[in-house]
Amino acid sequence: MKNEKIKLFLVDDDAVFLKSLEIEFLQHADFAIETFATGELCLQNISHNPDVIILDYFLDGIDKTAMNGMQTLDKIKVFNPDISVIMLSSQDKIEVAVNCMHHRAFDYVVKSETAFTRLQKIITTIFQYKKMEKELNWYMERM
Amino acid sequence: MAKIKKTEKDELIEIRKELTIQRKEKEKIAVELLLVRKELAFQDKEKEKRAAELGIANKELAFQDKEKGKRKVENSELEEFSNSVKLASQYSRSLIEASRDPMFTINPAGKITDINNASISITGISRENLIGTDFFNYFTEPAKAKEGYQQVFAKGFVADYPLTIRDHKLTDVLFNGSVYKDEEGNVLGVVVVARDITEQKRIEKELTEAKIFAELATGIAEEAKSKAEDSTRIAEDAVKSKQQFLSNMSHEIRTPMNAIIGFTKVVLKTELTAKQKEYLMAIKMSGDALIVLINDILDLAKVDAGKMTFEQVPFKMAISISAMLHLFETKIQEKNLELVKEYDPKIPDVLVGDPVRLHQIILNLVSNAVKFTTKGKITVSVHLLSQDEERVTIEFAVTDTGIGIPETKIGKIFENFQQASSGTSRLYGGTGLGLAIVKQLVEPQGGSINVKSKIGEGSTFSFTLSFLKTKEEAESATKIVELDAEIRNIKVLVVEDIALNQLLMKTLLDDFGFERDIVSNGKIAIEKLQTKTYDIILMDLQMPEMNGFEATEYIRNTLNSKIPIIALTADVTTVDLAKCKSVGMNDYIAKPVDERLLYSKILGLVKKPALIKIDVNEKIEEKKSKCIDLDYLIHRTKSNPKLMMEMISLYLEQTPPLILIMKQSLHDKDWQALYSAVHKMIPSFSIMGISIDFENMAKQVQEYASTQQQTDGIPDLVRQLENICAQACKELEIEFDMIKNTPL
Repeated sequence: MKNEKIKLFLVDDDAVFLKSLEIEFLQHADFAIETFATGELCLQNISHNPDVIILDYFLDGIDKTAMNGMQTLDKIKVFNPDISVIMLSSQDKIEVAVNCMHHRAFDYVVKSETAFTRLQKIITTIFQYKKMEKELNWYMERM
Repeated sequence: MAKIKKTEKDELIEIRKELTIQRKEKEKIAVELLLVRKELAFQDKEKEKRAAELGIANKELAFQDKEKGKRKVENSELEEFSNSVKLASQYSRSLIEASRDPMFTINPAGKITDINNASISITGISRENLIGTDFFNYFTEPAKAKEGYQQVFAKGFVADYPLTIRDHKLTDVLFNGSVYKDEEGNVLGVVVVARDITEQKRIEKELTEAKIFAELATGIAEEAKSKAEDSTRIAEDAVKSKQQFLSNMSHEIRTPMNAIIGFTKVVLKTELTAKQKEYLMAIKMSGDALIVLINDILDLAKVDAGKMTFEQVPFKMAISISAMLHLFETKIQEKNLELVKEYDPKIPDVLVGDPVRLHQIILNLVSNAVKFTTKGKITVSVHLLSQDEERVTIEFAVTDTGIGIPETKIGKIFENFQQASSGTSRLYGGTGLGLAIVKQLVEPQGGSINVKSKIGEGSTFSFTLSFLKTKEEAESATKIVELDAEIRNIKVLVVEDIALNQLLMKTLLDDFGFERDIVSNGKIAIEKLQTKTYDIILMDLQMPEMNGFEATEYIRNTLNSKIPIIALTADVTTVDLAKCKSVGMNDYIAKPVDERLLYSKILGLVKKPALIKIDVNEKIEEKKSKCIDLDYLIHRTKSNPKLMMEMISLYLEQTPPLILIMKQSLHDKDWQALYSAVHKMIPSFSIMGISIDFENMAKQVQEYASTQQQTDGIPDLVRQLENICAQACKELEIEFDMIKNTPL
């Protein structure tokens, strides 16, 4: 399992931020990364089975017809509820965060300089969590 | 027979006789016949002559006959023509008769030869009786009438010749006349037409009357106006002279007071015996009281002149009030009173308003409370009454346990120079101006003031004021503390001509530990400024050679220096203060100089420009160097040029369209789009190392756009964002090229 790279989807319409995230992830860990500018593109490629998707909340900012972050999140969850989605937003609003959690996002991160570090930690947590889940399942099966 | 014979014979004789007579007759006739024959012959000759003549005449007649035939034709033509002429003349005649203007024809002798109906009706005399009479008889001024038609004969016409017809009502007319002539051009007479101008005359008369009335009215109005102007001028003069008087008085009183209080303070700092100290304190207190009075009067004068202005600056209410109450501590302790402060913690830290005036109000109320209370406590309470998103309304109350005010006097105590009882000032002192000033300070700020009082139990003065909320930080307060270290190095230039004041300033500044140079007029000050640098100038206004205004103007405009300048003035009327500001002075201090005030003002001004200076420098540096900082990027990409170039080119690709959307959406007031564009821009600021200020600016725009409040502020912010992004793009392009051209 460990020899397989963790597959990461980055979805953001802000190309600069997207790129900076990509660079950071590539440098700090060995991820297989795919980036998408829109929710639609992300969903088209969802069959690549990412482990984690980092998804911008505000995807329909410039292109009004684009699918927004929440819609994308919902569709991802429909496709496979096991994919962990971390929502990313530049707004620091409790309602937004809570709303994301309600839609079963794994976590919510505000865009800032520290966003990457936090994302990294969250990803680590996700895998710890998944591992624990697996272990739990394994034990449950044994019981 | 004889007889018969005889008879016969007789008869015969008779016959013979007869016959002889007859013969004789015959002979006579023959002669006559001869004559007749001769005559006949002559007549025959004549007849022949005549016949010849007749022949000629006959010929002539024949010719004439022919001519006659021709003439007959002409005659009939003429007759026709004359008929039509007759018709035409009848037509003209009817026109003339129909005219409502009287018409006359007059022959050269002045007799009327023809008239129309109008003439008859106007004169009331029949046609028959008019024709042939003297024209001028029908006018009130015959001589003038005569002259009138004579003029027509002389000149050929007359126009609008005024006359009055002597009828039953004396009709005023204007005559228009011209001569008429025969074919040869001989003047036959004149035709005159009279126009009835009674109506015009009446209108004219009315007009004239109206004109006269109007002129009279104008006259009266002008008189009234000039009277009003006079009184206005007198009133203005009075106001001016009142102001001038106050200004002069304050100057005259303040200058010596300055020296008295200042030196008293200086002496108080020296070694003194207890008695000496006591006396000096008395001098100082009296001086202070006098200055308070003068300030009160000036404040009232300012209010009266409508010159009282209220500042809107952020300040810390709690600190401001406790600092002010601090001033009373000694006095309250002296009187063995208790001071209770109640401050509502719900009041926001920083508010926008006029702290100086607020001080003044509370100061007046508290000093009254202290003055009239001998036992008990004074409570100063500050409560939040209400608040909304923009402003808070605060109730301030000062309650004492003093002598109280009789109910009947409560209405009066806010009037100038009024105290609750005329004996009050004898017992407690004071001018009776304090509360008047308080009222004048509270009401123009939209507040209200209330009094509750009971004789012997005490009074409560309360007032409400509202303040704007702000996110800005208040100035001062904290700064003074942190500055203490560096203030020792402040270099002050004092420009003051009066030796006493020079000495006083010197003492004060030495006390503060400031470096100081003292010069006696503006000219020397300017020379001094060119050789040495100072942090601040204290500038007297009235000086010989070059006064404070001129000097300041010179410093600001010619030396182009922004050095803080504080005016030292004994003359604190509004006029001068406005002038101080207009020439570019930063502040003023009234003489006699209050030590603490001078200290805090110097510090405030020296500190502020220092901050500004740094800001300016930073900005200049930024502009000179860069608004971007690639440290973050370098760090993140581990200086990988390829990645950096990727990042930069992405930014360059993404940003310009965002700026466009931002501008367009602002223009269209499409707040949603503006929000999105700015929103998307935000992360890139920190990635490219653009100052956090701009990121905050963008967040502000975002907030404004989403709440759609304070949209006024958006255009400016958007412009700044646009500029910074444009600059960032430019710099990143250069950066990009540099990385590209750097060999790996």
